[in-house]
Amino acid sequence: MRHSLRLPRLLLNLAIAFMALFILGPLIWLAAHAFVSDWHYPNFYPSGFTFHWWSRVFLDSALSTAMRNSLIISPIVVLCSMVICLPAAYAVGRINFWGRRAFMIGIFSANSFPKIGLFAAIATLYYSLNLMGTFVGVVIIQLLGTIIYMTWIPAAAFAAVPRNLEEAARDAGANKFTVFRTITLRMAMPGILVAIVMSFLAAFDEAQGTYLVGAPSIFTMPTEMYSLVQNYPIQVAAVFSLLLTLPSVLLLSLARKHIMGGQLAEGFQLK
Amino acid sequence: MISVRRKVNRESSRAPHGARPSLSGFALALPPLLLVVVFVGIPILIGLTFSLGFTQGPNRVISLIGQQIHIKSHWWGTFAAYSDVLHDSRFLGDLALTLVVTSISTVFVIAMALGIAMYQRLIGGKKASVLVTLSIVPLFVPVVISAWAIHTFYGGDGFMRTLFSHLGINFPTLTSTPVAIVIGSVWTALPFSILMISSGMQAIPNALIEAARDCGAPTPKIISNILIPLARTPIIIAASFTAIGILGSYTIPLFLGPNQPTMLGVEISNFFGAYNRPQQSLVMAFFVFLAASGIAILYVWQNIKSARESGRI
Amino acid sequence: MMSEKSGFGLELRGLRKTLGGRLIIDDLNLSVADGEMISLLGPSGCGKTTTLRMIAGFLAPDAGQIVLAGKDVTELGPDKRPSAMVFQNYALWPHMSAAKNVAYPLKIKGLTKVEIKERVEAALELVNLLHHKDSRPGQISGGEQQRVALARALVQEPDVLLLDEPLSNLDAKLREKVREDIRELQRRLKITTVIVTHDQEEALSISDRVAVMNSGRIEQFSTPQELYRRPATEYVATFIGSLNYFDGKLVGDRVVSGPGVVGIRPEDVIIMPAGSAGSYPGTVELVIPRGHFFEVVVLREDGRFRIFTNDNIPQIGESVHLQIKKALHYENGHLVE
Repeated sequence: MRHSLRLPRLLLNLAIAFMALFILGPLIWLAAHAFVSDWHYPNFYPSGFTFHWWSRVFLDSALSTAMRNSLIISPIVVLCSMVICLPAAYAVGRINFWGRRAFMIGIFSANSFPKIGLFAAIATLYYSLNLMGTFVGVVIIQLLGTIIYMTWIPAAAFAAVPRNLEEAARDAGANKFTVFRTITLRMAMPGILVAIVMSFLAAFDEAQGTYLVGAPSIFTMPTEMYSLVQNYPIQVAAVFSLLLTLPSVLLLSLARKHIMGGQLAEGFQLK
Repeated sequence: MISVRRKVNRESSRAPHGARPSLSGFALALPPLLLVVVFVGIPILIGLTFSLGFTQGPNRVISLIGQQIHIKSHWWGTFAAYSDVLHDSRFLGDLALTLVVTSISTVFVIAMALGIAMYQRLIGGKKASVLVTLSIVPLFVPVVISAWAIHTFYGGDGFMRTLFSHLGINFPTLTSTPVAIVIGSVWTALPFSILMISSGMQAIPNALIEAARDCGAPTPKIISNILIPLARTPIIIAASFTAIGILGSYTIPLFLGPNQPTMLGVEISNFFGAYNRPQQSLVMAFFVFLAASGIAILYVWQNIKSARESGRI
Repeated sequence: MMSEKSGFGLELRGLRKTLGGRLIIDDLNLSVADGEMISLLGPSGCGKTTTLRMIAGFLAPDAGQIVLAGKDVTELGPDKRPSAMVFQNYALWPHMSAAKNVAYPLKIKGLTKVEIKERVEAALELVNLLHHKDSRPGQISGGEQQRVALARALVQEPDVLLLDEPLSNLDAKLREKVREDIRELQRRLKITTVIVTHDQEEALSISDRVAVMNSGRIEQFSTPQELYRRPATEYVATFIGSLNYFDGKLVGDRVVSGPGVVGIRPEDVIIMPAGSAGSYPGTVELVIPRGHFFEVVVLREDGRFRIFTNDNIPQIGESVHLQIKKALHYENGHLVE
């Protein structure tokens, strides 16, 4: 399409350079530190390269315990979230039940309460229920953060499945469950996948609440980061950061097509 | 390249009101609702009562542990804790900082997201895709890592200072300043806003833009008369989400901001833990919630308004 | 309402356009008289929409010139050209009322509020939609939306009006009425108009002249009658109206083998009873009532004929002789006189 507006090439290239520096700069700088032996200000180059810090991290019992905890707890949280939230998402997307909109708004509002303030309030409840410092307590805290993703996004995905496709399947002889399994679920799958990825990341990266209720008995990778940055050299923090970022990058790369395809944006419109 | 989302007749996807028993729907929605009510709703209510001075029952343990607890003096409680907080210069300083940082960061985020989204919509091409992809990168990174990476980048011995020292310029150490909080907040909030606004812009049919051109409209007019009004809903959603998120943020200001004044999220944690003043901590949390609710109401109102306008309601 | 103009309303000279590696338009030439209404007619892929978009300014030609009302606009964008387009899906802005949609081009020009109100109401009056001036596009029917789009185009007082498949989104009953309305409006305002359509009935019924397009070229540009009675190419002959066509040539009432192609319009065949001297009999296969005429299908040794007639309706199975009144002969695709 023809445009009467032509942005000067220089301005555009400057914008790209700025964005690259602004976004990627901090990440590359930190990642570089994971492989260096010594790097002091104001040297532009480090003294040497090494993998020494990597073994440091893997051999440290506290750090590897934290990694193990993260990798065990997060999938459990996502599974629980799916069991609890997907039926509700289906209902919101397909059934016009009383209070549907209020339900969605309620979930959204619950997510608007500042997490750190909420955890302060939850701590009180946890004390009475003896959940402080327990595995279940941590799972619940992380679960709360996944609810908005596991309800809103699949709800939009379920709602977007055209009724007439299901009707055609019924007409061809399939029973209700088969229709759900082969048509509805399959067509809503991209949205559900995006919800799973976002929920996993929300659980995996959850730090504030997990710290408040898990410390000092249970540490996950993110909560370990809080003390890590003060007590260990920057190179260790850099290694740990790369390890912590790895699952995110992998999962989001897999789901990238669907996230950029609008499942995320589509999911947050109130209908 | 972000694809245009399908336009689907939502009404045909959902059962007409009253045609199916709404009880089954309600029953299916119950589990997450209960979870939220029990673990969010009830703590908020209990926290509210605690902030008003009700120290028995579920609040007994925390009342024993904490300091400077005010016990209710009337049947409805007491405003003593609220008074404490409102007269605390630390809180007022934090509140001011929080509101200013949130506003400035949100403006920056939306401006950047709008700029990139409009560039992609009107001109497109490889460079636009590069900009969009760059903006999405922070989504891949956990907040803790982002905060730490930005800290090392702008810190005393960070990249910026290293680079500029070789040019003979003394670049300021930005960490432990509000500027760093803005940088970190913008950095982490950009992906969601870009996704929302870009998706909204891509959904505007080409014909609507061409028709404006055919009527003689230059590009700035097309942006203000056509693009922004038609993408109004995603823009407001993005702004609401961003503002609410930054308002109550904790990790970014913790790593990047000054000790005092700091953002309310950090102060809430300080008061609850280090200073052992849980009651005042909860009062602050409610003030933040109040502000966040105000923004959330804007979001909901905008959604309902746009649904009504397009005839969905 | 319209100012005096002279010369050609629209001229296309040597237009060429390649899209996606394919040559869509190749050396296209067209001269439309001032105040004339013409159609670009052809199947999808023939290049008619590409041509329209080049006239409007949304596509730049690789070569050639576009001259609107005597002014070379080839280098200008759509916002600077004196043309106005009615889009296929009307392209009304959903967040603006009908009046605001129509007012938009005037607002861009910077007219005063009073002037705008006056001209908008006049335009809406012209299309009989003044009563809907404050309605949103989502609140009015498809036909009414189209009229708003038309009003928005007309309010710009364009030198050239462009309509992209104006009737394709309307239901059948509405189509005829809207067709007549457009024709009547155009006659009154005397604006040079170009319509893009794939429906030959539509093109023939309202145009002064029709350009039949095939693979990026105009095969014939004539009045509807001329197109029907003397289609210049085989393609035009088969595209316009119904045609019986066979390889070979017509000798008497018979098709014999030979070079070229012969085309016979269904109404140019007379059904006679078989048995008369020199008759070449065929068998009636089908007799289909079509309302005010009958379609009769006859199988003969030299081919199958579709015939439109209203008298001497035969029975199925009957043996009949066909007298051919007029035929079109084509060699290498072109009409041989």
